[in-house]
Amino acid sequence: MRIVNLKVNGVGKTFIARPETTLLLALREQLGLTGAKRGCAQGACGSCTVLLEGEPVVSCLVPAVTVDGADIATVEGLADGPALSHVQQAFLDGFATQCGFCTPGMIMSAEALLDRNPDPTRDEVNEAISGNVCRCTGYEPIVSAILDAAVRRREGAKL
Amino acid sequence: MLTEVHVPEDVPAAVGLIASGATILGGGTALMPALNDYGSPPTALVSLRRTGLAGITVAGSTVTLGATTTLAQIEHDARLALLNPVVRSIASVPVRTLATVGGNLFVRQPHGDLAVALVALDARATLAGHDEPAELPLRQPALVTAVTFERPEPGIFKYVKAARRRFNSASLVTVAATVVESGGIVTGARVALGGVGDHVLRAHAVEEALIGRPLNEATVHAAAQDGLTELSPADDAYASAWYRKRVFPVHLRRALLGC
Amino acid sequence: MPRVNPIDSDYFKDERPDDKFSVIGKTVQRSDALGHVTGRTEFFEDRTFPDLAHVKIHRSAHHHARINSVDVSEALRVPGVLRVITHRDVPSNWYMVLRLIGIEPNDEPVLAEDRVLYKGEPIVAVVADSEAAALEGAARVKVDYTVLPAVLDVEAALAPDAPVIKQAGTNYFVYEGHHARRLRFGDVEQGFAQADRIFEWRYSSAPIEHAPTETTGCVVVPQSSGRLLIHSNTQAAFFTLDNTALILDRPFTDLQVKGGTVGGGFGGKVDVMVEPLACIAATLTNRPVKFVYTREEEMQVSSPRAAERIYIKDGVMNDGRIVARKVMLYVDSGAYSRHSPYGTTKACAHLPGPYTIPNVYADCHCVYTNRTPSSAMRGFGVTIADFALESQMDRIARALEMDPLQFRLKNAYRDGDLKAHRKVAEGTALIEVIQRAAALVGHELPEEYQAMSSRGAGA
Repeated sequence: MRIVNLKVNGVGKTFIARPETTLLLALREQLGLTGAKRGCAQGACGSCTVLLEGEPVVSCLVPAVTVDGADIATVEGLADGPALSHVQQAFLDGFATQCGFCTPGMIMSAEALLDRNPDPTRDEVNEAISGNVCRCTGYEPIVSAILDAAVRRREGAKL
Repeated sequence: MLTEVHVPEDVPAAVGLIASGATILGGGTALMPALNDYGSPPTALVSLRRTGLAGITVAGSTVTLGATTTLAQIEHDARLALLNPVVRSIASVPVRTLATVGGNLFVRQPHGDLAVALVALDARATLAGHDEPAELPLRQPALVTAVTFERPEPGIFKYVKAARRRFNSASLVTVAATVVESGGIVTGARVALGGVGDHVLRAHAVEEALIGRPLNEATVHAAAQDGLTELSPADDAYASAWYRKRVFPVHLRRALLGC
Repeated sequence: MPRVNPIDSDYFKDERPDDKFSVIGKTVQRSDALGHVTGRTEFFEDRTFPDLAHVKIHRSAHHHARINSVDVSEALRVPGVLRVITHRDVPSNWYMVLRLIGIEPNDEPVLAEDRVLYKGEPIVAVVADSEAAALEGAARVKVDYTVLPAVLDVEAALAPDAPVIKQAGTNYFVYEGHHARRLRFGDVEQGFAQADRIFEWRYSSAPIEHAPTETTGCVVVPQSSGRLLIHSNTQAAFFTLDNTALILDRPFTDLQVKGGTVGGGFGGKVDVMVEPLACIAATLTNRPVKFVYTREEEMQVSSPRAAERIYIKDGVMNDGRIVARKVMLYVDSGAYSRHSPYGTTKACAHLPGPYTIPNVYADCHCVYTNRTPSSAMRGFGVTIADFALESQMDRIARALEMDPLQFRLKNAYRDGDLKAHRKVAEGTALIEVIQRAAALVGHELPEEYQAMSSRGAGA
């Protein structure tokens, strides 16, 4: 058992981690942030994707004690009150959700892509979400929503 | 069952923990899936995350990759355009942010495509507590602190990974090679293969069949036939052993001739 | 915004006099989408409970074996392990989900007793303080087996010399005294005798896993009233409640199921797999208990779509009229029934496809093998049968050098036709759908085919 400190969505958090407590389980079970999902615990489905120091990671494969002191961003931190992020709003408007289980991970992968590459091609979007499985197979609206979000972000930046 | 996860702040502390029986944890992308879902003997891990082993240095033509450098860091380093297609052929974005150079040297086939490329580049591994750099592939577990290679001239290094999907799929056959030609004749060849055995394979028979001959379809076809004898692929969820052998000559040709 | 196709209002105008739809044809936001994009949608596992215990399972290592002994002593020594649960702890161990609609017999144990019929069959459940301790405990259960010959193919399972794997005495589900769900209409042999051509082919499919992104699971919370509150991702809340109560041998009113939010189901979450053991564990420990499949369990032991093998023999006239169709259909139910007896009936009800054929004969077998039990998945029974039927239609059309759409139109059922099940067809619309599909892709149909109508010709 170790005490771990994280900065989650800008707020300092402290919890006790067992050896097997992954970053995902710490977020979900100890910090109550259940947006990131456990779909496989194998790093294969991407439902648990969060940003670790600004980069997307499958949080199910990260022992919590190894990232003591890190900066974490989750889906819960994207909206500013009722105002959704551009990616969230584009997913909502573009009907890019079905069962919703992959959505938070998919959105975090999209946010990370657009942080790095504000004007991605469709192919670059495909690569960015290649680790996020949507078994309802709604990939087309998801890819379109991410491209739409890129436009919204760029236009938002111009204002 | 996991009993402890150590996070030492330097290499000597890590070496001490390894000596006491702890298992090395790099990015965790190969080890954690097993620990998350299955019973196991009591296991202590030693995470290398804080040991200061991450980093890329390029001095002249010499490239040094710290052992905990992630595949994502290689992907986004403009000086390593050579390895960009290699790391982007591996897993997915949120896995590449975790997976490390050192870890890739030890992952089970049909994974480990960066290691295939590094073998072809004649990279050497620096091992903690050893003065002499080690040739790849490594056969015994060891604490690698860095991997070093000489960056070849443009056009020398060749890489093809055949997979079920374009992104995020393990290897059916991976071919990495450095081929040097002089006067239309191959004067130097180093060929490494993934997906065709239980470890990264240095394809000596292929190399011998290339050297001294013009790099053309006939030569590569003959080299592939010689190389087949060295392959021992497995049946897995990605492909059958039969299929891997069947398509190996095609991917060797695509890697070496580009078509 | 998503594309919405305009509504085709040309056909069947008389059935829609005012032509007013309030939702169809319009874009309406999903009621759950805001929760999805903000991560606030509450799936069953998104609730945390103090003192939560966890269940993990020790599963069969063999396709078919007798269990000689089970040793749980090492599991109990794992720190954090609270209890082990064997079949003796299950009040009413034998069940059949479809018993709620009168289907018999109860053919599946919640936990194996003296034998296992498939690799991955649950034998012992381990309850522990942590998921890791439960996994470790389950891994340390020791089972001594005598391995028995396994039957892994539907036709091999029906061979006279096949080992009988089911305690009911047959390797097939018995439909009202018969070896198969049968369909008999006209005289199929006479139809073959009068036919110009006979076409007979074999079709088969592999099991298909639904692979929902969220694995099957539940959390059971004992209430102060003594009731059990079940947070589940089941697709079948009432099937789950009733079957779980029957297994627990408790009144239905003792259980409450909260569900409806499912992270991908596709039919894979209609069986009753986790709730009974989680309820038993919660009762024995008086703690909230979570039982959720690992990804490997979801892929290996959750029931897939059944593998099927289908033989179709057709008698056809040179002008393209099908005069006889005989189908021998085998559904691989795996080791237990689950929903497959029903799926097989659905397959039979779908035959001979949407075509009017005067002579039809079908035997649809629900077969038991030592494979993972199969069950519901999107249109089960119909989907694979359709693959076979429509492949058959294409191949016959090719053999007759006929246009495949014209071949279908010539045989299409129409309102008023008597179907092989002796039901009169109504609202068929197949002809109009083919005509419009042909127009959309620029596939030209001759005048006589464009003039066809599903209305009345067969009446």
